[in-house]
Amino acid sequence: MIEPRIGVYICHCGHNIAGTVDVVEVAKFASGLPYVVVSRDYQFMCSDSGQNLIKEDIKEHNLNRVVVASCSPLMHEITFRTACRQAGLNQYEFTMANIREHVSWVAIDMASATEKAKAQVSAAVRRAALLEPLETRMVKINPTAMVVGSGVAGIEAALRIAEGGKKVYLVEKKSSIGGNMAYLDKTFPTLDCAACILTPKMVAVKNNPNIEILTYSEVEEVKGFVGNFQVKVRKKARYVDLEKCNACQDCVEVCPVSVPNEFEFGHNDRKAIYRLFPQAVPNTFLIDKQETTPCKATCPIHQDAAGYIALVAKEKYKEAMEVIRRANPLPAVCGRVCFHPCETECRRKLVDEPIAIQQLKRFVYDWCYEHGVGMEIPEIEEEKKEKVAIIGSGPSGLACAYDLRQKGYKVTIFEAFDEPGGMLRTCIPEFRLPRNILDRDIDYIKGMGVEIKTGIKVGKDIDFDKLREDYDAVYIATGAYAGKKMGIPGEDAEGVFDSVEFLIKVNMTAKPKGIVSGNVMIVGGGNSAVDAARVALRLGAKKVDIYYRRTEREMPADEFEVEQARAEGVGLNIMTAPVEILTENGKVKAVRCIRMDMTEPDETGRRRPVPIEGSEYEVDYDYVIMAISQEPDLTAIEGKKGFEITKWNTIDVNSDNMTTGVKGVFAGGDVVRGPASVVEAMCDGKKAAIAIDQYLSGVKEKDIKVDYDANIVKRKEEVDWVEYYKEKARQSRVKMRELEPEVRRKNFDEVLLGFSEDEAIKEAERCLHCGPCVECYECVRVCEPEAIIHDDKDEIIELDVGTIIVATGYKQMDGAEVKQFMYGRHPDVLTALEFERLVNAAGFTEGKIVTSKGKEPESIAILHCIGSRDENYHKYCSSVCCMYALKLAHLVKERTNAEVYQLYIDMRAKGKGYEEFYNRLLREGVRFIRGRAASVTTFYLYPEEKGKIVVRCEDTLLNRIRRIPVDMVVLCMAIEPTEDAQRIANIFNISRSQDGFFLEKHPKLAPVETANDGVFIAGACQGPKDIPDSVAQGGAAGAAALSLIDKGEVEIEGAIAVINEEICSGCRICNNLCPYSAIEFDEEKKVSRVIEALCKGCGTCVSACPSSAITALHFTDEQIIAEIEGVLI
Amino acid sequence: MIKYAYYPGCSLESTNKAYDISFRAIMYHLGIAMKDIDDWNCCGATAYISVSENMAFTVSARNLAIAEKSGATDVIAPCAACYLTLRKAHEYMMEYPEIYAQVNSALNKIGLSYEGTIKVKSPLEVIIDDVGLDKVRIAVTNPLKGLKVACYYGCQLVRPRHVFDDPEEPVKFEELMKTIGADPVYFPFRVRCCGSSTILTYEQQALRMSKNVLLSAKREGADIIATACPLCQINLDAYQRRIEKEFKIKLNMPVVFFSQLVGLALNYKYKEMALDKSIVSPKKVLEPYLHSQEEVKEGK
Repeated sequence: MIEPRIGVYICHCGHNIAGTVDVVEVAKFASGLPYVVVSRDYQFMCSDSGQNLIKEDIKEHNLNRVVVASCSPLMHEITFRTACRQAGLNQYEFTMANIREHVSWVAIDMASATEKAKAQVSAAVRRAALLEPLETRMVKINPTAMVVGSGVAGIEAALRIAEGGKKVYLVEKKSSIGGNMAYLDKTFPTLDCAACILTPKMVAVKNNPNIEILTYSEVEEVKGFVGNFQVKVRKKARYVDLEKCNACQDCVEVCPVSVPNEFEFGHNDRKAIYRLFPQAVPNTFLIDKQETTPCKATCPIHQDAAGYIALVAKEKYKEAMEVIRRANPLPAVCGRVCFHPCETECRRKLVDEPIAIQQLKRFVYDWCYEHGVGMEIPEIEEEKKEKVAIIGSGPSGLACAYDLRQKGYKVTIFEAFDEPGGMLRTCIPEFRLPRNILDRDIDYIKGMGVEIKTGIKVGKDIDFDKLREDYDAVYIATGAYAGKKMGIPGEDAEGVFDSVEFLIKVNMTAKPKGIVSGNVMIVGGGNSAVDAARVALRLGAKKVDIYYRRTEREMPADEFEVEQARAEGVGLNIMTAPVEILTENGKVKAVRCIRMDMTEPDETGRRRPVPIEGSEYEVDYDYVIMAISQEPDLTAIEGKKGFEITKWNTIDVNSDNMTTGVKGVFAGGDVVRGPASVVEAMCDGKKAAIAIDQYLSGVKEKDIKVDYDANIVKRKEEVDWVEYYKEKARQSRVKMRELEPEVRRKNFDEVLLGFSEDEAIKEAERCLHCGPCVECYECVRVCEPEAIIHDDKDEIIELDVGTIIVATGYKQMDGAEVKQFMYGRHPDVLTALEFERLVNAAGFTEGKIVTSKGKEPESIAILHCIGSRDENYHKYCSSVCCMYALKLAHLVKERTNAEVYQLYIDMRAKGKGYEEFYNRLLREGVRFIRGRAASVTTFYLYPEEKGKIVVRCEDTLLNRIRRIPVDMVVLCMAIEPTEDAQRIANIFNISRSQDGFFLEKHPKLAPVETANDGVFIAGACQGPKDIPDSVAQGGAAGAAALSLIDKGEVEIEGAIAVINEEICSGCRICNNLCPYSAIEFDEEKKVSRVIEALCKGCGTCVSACPSSAITALHFTDEQIIAEIEGVLI
Repeated sequence: MIKYAYYPGCSLESTNKAYDISFRAIMYHLGIAMKDIDDWNCCGATAYISVSENMAFTVSARNLAIAEKSGATDVIAPCAACYLTLRKAHEYMMEYPEIYAQVNSALNKIGLSYEGTIKVKSPLEVIIDDVGLDKVRIAVTNPLKGLKVACYYGCQLVRPRHVFDDPEEPVKFEELMKTIGADPVYFPFRVRCCGSSTILTYEQQALRMSKNVLLSAKREGADIIATACPLCQINLDAYQRRIEKEFKIKLNMPVVFFSQLVGLALNYKYKEMALDKSIVSPKKVLEPYLHSQEEVKEGK
C-alpha cells in the first residue's frame, strides 16, 4: 500500500465554528497527527477559494487523503468530494469531521469545545489513513414520473412534467383530484374564486395525454432507488366503470341510502352512489361500499337483507321482492321460519334492538302476493339438454332445483312423501308456516318447469343406479328423518315418540286430534322441542312441559319461540333430565327425572351438565316426546359403493364443492350436516347448483370450485361501533301483531299476523345501512351504459418510475379536539373549512350565510389560532389563517349585514398584496380584537346574551376581559399533517420534522428535495402553506424532477456492502433483513450476494451476519475502530 | 399492608362531615380498605403556599412521609384543595432536586423522610379508575333512574394537567353518575370556579361566581348538583339563600357530594348518607329513591 499523505482543513465557518473553537489550535494539533502532511485553517472551506486550496495542496504536496473539519456531511460532503475528484483523487479518499453541529453549535466553553474538535479531527485522520478508493457506477433514469396527491401542488407538479413531454402518473387517494382547494370559495387577496382557478387546471390534467390519473388509489410500496423505482399502487374498487359512466345521475335518484356528505362536513346527505363534488375529475360516480352489510355476509345464502329493507323504506315493494328472489328461492318460507342469523349480527343491536329482517321479508312477500306483483315466473335464459335428478324436496332440494332450472337444466325432484316440501311440510307446525304459504313457494318453482315426483322413495321404489343412468347429475338432499331416542329404560313403551315421528304423524294426518292427551313431557331444548310442545298443546294436552338438561340461556331454540310457548302455557324445567320411563301395562305412566348441575367452563368455555346424585324424583306423564336429535335417512344410497359415511351417519362431502366422490353425485343439507336449519340447507343446495353447472359444463370433478363468499367485502379498518353510534337516537323495534295466547293455543292458525305498510316502513327506516351500500341493485337497474360493477375488486397496479413527487397535503385539525369552543356541541360553531362550504355557492346552503336555524346572523366571531401557536396542541403558526379569516370576513360583509369580529393574537400579512388586503378589511368595518379567545359558552349573564353564543376573551389592547355575544363562531383550526403521514413517510423513506410535516433536505438550499434521492416533496405536506406557495413548490418540484430526468443517468454510491463468498455459510439471515431487498441467494453456490444497484450501504446485513462475511465498503470494521481510537486518544 | 392511606383534611372533620361519612361507607361497601394517616396535619391549602412555598411543601410532605412509612402506596385526599396541594408538593419535590433536598432535610429533623413513592388520588379517581365502574354497577341495588344530576368538577380536581381527566371537557364524573342509574346533565360551568375562599375576602365576587355555577346547572334542567369538593359544596349550599336574595333569583338547588348519591344507589338510607345535613334540602328530589326508608316520611 502506498503510504498515506493526508491534508487536514479546519473551517471557521465564519463565526459559526471559530466563535467557539480555537481553529488555529486544532489545525496545529492536526499537523502532529500520523501521516498528516499539511494542516490548515480557513474562513470558508466551502467557498471557491477554499476548494482551490485543497486542489492546489493535492497537487503540490502529492496528497492522497483529505480531511475537512467543518459542517455536517449532509451539507457539503458532495462539494468536497467533487473538489477532490477534480484534483485527481478518488472521491472516497476524502472524509469529513463535523465540528459545527457536533461541536461548536452545542458547546459554550471554548477550551472544552476545542478539545472535542481535536478528538473529532483525530478520529477522521485515523480513519482517512485506512480509506480505500471505490468505484461508482452510473445508472439510467426512467423518464416516467409519479406525483402522489393531487391538490393544487400535485396538479402543478404533474402539469409541469407533462408539459415537458414526460409521462406522469398522478395518484390520488380520494375519488377526485383537487385536494383541499376544491373546498374553498374565494381565494385571498385577489378574491378570485377558487373553482375558477382550480377547475381549469384539473381539466388540463385530465386532457393532457402525458398524465395518467389514478384516483381512489393509494401507493402501498416503493422499491428501488433514484431513477428506478418500482411502485405498487392499490386501485380501490369504485364499483362503477370509469370508462362507461357518463355522470347522468340516474343512479343517484334511485339509490335508497343516504349518508352524511363528508365533503360538506355532514351538513347535508349524499347517496351511497356519489361523486365527491359536482366538478370532480374524473367526473364519474362511485359506490361507497366499505363492507358487505353484516346481515348479508352472515346469511348462509347471502340474502341482500339490507337491500330489500332499504327499498321497503322507500315503498318500493316490487323491487324489494326482486332483490329477495335474487338469492332466495323460498321467500315466503324464509320470511316465516328462518332462524335469522342476520338479526344476531345486525349492527342496530348495538344501538337498541336488531332490525326485524325476517319479518320484513314476510311483509314484502305478503304485500306482493296480495297485490299480484313480483310473482311472475322468470324466463329461463337458455334451455339445456342435460337432466338433473334431485332426491328430496326439502329446502335444500328446492333451492338447488330453482338455481339449476334458472340456468336451463331439466330438473326432476323425487319426494318420498305424497306432498313436496320435506321437513317444511312434515315437521314445521302449521301455526308457524301455513301450508298454503308453503305451497306458494313450491308452486313458483314448479311453475319454472321443475318436475316434482312425489310418493317415490329412492332406494325402495326406484333404484339409485337407475337415477344415475337416466340423469346427468344427481343431488342427494334427503334430510335427517331418523329420530333419535335417549337410550333410557322404558322408552319403547306406548306413548313415547321421537319428535320427528310425532310431528310427521300430526302434520301428515287429516285429523290429528287425540295423538297425545293428558300430561305430555317434551325432552330437549331445540326448536323441534318447542314446536312439539306447542303442537301437543294444540292437540288438547292438559299439561305440556319441556325438560332441558342445561340452562335456559343455552337452549338452541329461538328465544322468541320459547317466549311464545311460555305465553301459551308450556312449562319449562331446566337443568333436569329423565332417567327412566315408568310404565303400566306397557303404557307411559310416569317419568323419573334427575336434577343437573353445570360444571365450571372447560378450556373451550363450555359448561357441561352433570347429574346431582340423589336428586331423582318422579312425575306423572302420559306421553313423552324426545326431541334430542335426528340422523340422516340413507335409504337412497344403501349398499351403494363409493360414498363415505361419517360416524354421525352423514354423507361425507367436499364442503368446497359438495361432491361426494361418486361421479356426478352431489349431496347437501341435513343429510350432510346432520340436523341444521332451513337456510343452511338452502345454502348447500345453491352451492351444489353451481357445482353441478360446472360439472355439466365439462369441468373435471376435482377442479370444481364454488367460492360462495367471493363477493363479500370486508371493512379495511376496525371501527368501535358502540362508540360510533353513541349519539344515535334510540328507537325500539316494531313488534309484529300476533294472536292472543289464549286464542292461539286452541288452534293451528298462524300466530304472527304480519306488518301493516306503516309498520313495515317504520321498521325498515331503522336500518343503519352498514355498507353503506346495501346492494339493492337499483343503480344496476337504471344505469343505461351498464357501468355498475357490484363485484368490482381492488386492483394492485405496478408502476416503474424514475422520480417521485410527494404532495399529499394537510388536514384541518378536528374542531372537537380543542374542547372549550363547543365545536360539535353547538350547531353554529363551525370550522373554517366548513364555513368555506357554507359560503360556497355549491355548498350546503348554496352560499347563503345563515345559522343552523336558517336565519341570517347578526354577528359572527372568527377565532384565530385554534390549535396553532398553542403549547397544548401545535407550537407552529398555521400560516394561512390570518389571511383566509380576512377573506371570510369580507365575504360575510359583502353578503350580509352581520357584524364580524376577528379575535387574533397577531395579524400576519406577509405576502404580496396581503397587507393591502388587511388594510382594506380594516376600512370595511370588521372589528379586530387583539387577544386569543378563551372559550365559548351558551351561559348568559346579561339579557343581550340570551340565545347567543358568548365568546370570552382577553382584549389585550383594552386590557379587559370581554364577553362578545354572537350568532355564529368560526374556528380557524390548525393545519396538521395528514393522519397517514407516518405511513407515507415510511413508504417513501422520507423523514418528518418535529411538527410532523415532511422534512425537506435543506430549508433553503434544497426545499423540495428530500434525503431520499429522487423523491421530492411539494405543498402543505412540507408545512402549512397558502395557494401561491403551494403552486410555487409544485412547480419547483416538477422542475427538479425534470432536470433529473433530463440528465438521463445518475451516479450510484460506491459505499455498499460486499459478501465474501468464501466465508458466507448460506444461512440467509441477511436476505430478509435487507430493507432494500438488495440481497439475493445463489441457489447453486449456496451463498448470498449483494445486488449492487439496490444496495444503499446501510450496514444492517453487516452487523447481522453471524460469520462476519459481509463488509460495508467505506465503513469497514478497521476504519470504524481506527475512528473510535482517534476519539479516545 | 393497606394500599390506601386516607387523608381526611380539616373540612371533612367539621363543615363537610357528610362527605367523610358517605365516602367511608361506600368504600367499605365496595370492599376497599383504607387507613387514616396517623397524626396528620393541615395540608397548608392555598394560603400557606402563597406565604412560603418550601414551608408549605414541608407541611404537606409530612403527611406523605407518614403514609409512605406506613407502607401505603396511595393517599386518598377527598378535599379537592388538599388533593391539589399534596399532589403539588409531591410533584415539585420530584421535579426539583433542590426542593426535594430542603423538604427532606426538614423532615429528617423529626425523624421522617419522603422517598416519593406515594400517588395522591381523589376519591373519584379511586372509585372510577381503581375500583372500576363495572364493580360499582354490580353493587347498585337502588338505581337513581331519572335523577338529573349536574356533575360539578370545580376548578381544582382536573387542573392544571391531564392527570385524572381532561381539564376542559372531563367525562368521568358523568360516567359514574350514569353507572348508578342517574341522568347526568351537561352544564357549561362544570369546571369553573365557585369562588372558593374568596368568599372570606371578597364576598361579592365569590357570590357572583357561585351564582353562575348554580344558575348554569339550573338552566340545563338539573335536579341536583353533585360535587367532589368540600369548598364547592359549602359555597353553593350554605350561601345559596344569600345568593337568591342578592341576585333576586330562585334557585332551590340541592348540592351534595357524589359519594352521598353513590351511597343512596347502594341502598344506604338518607340519614346514613348524612343527606339531612345539607342546608338546601335534597329531600324532595331524592324522594323517589327512598321508597323503603320510613324515617324520611317521619321527618316530614
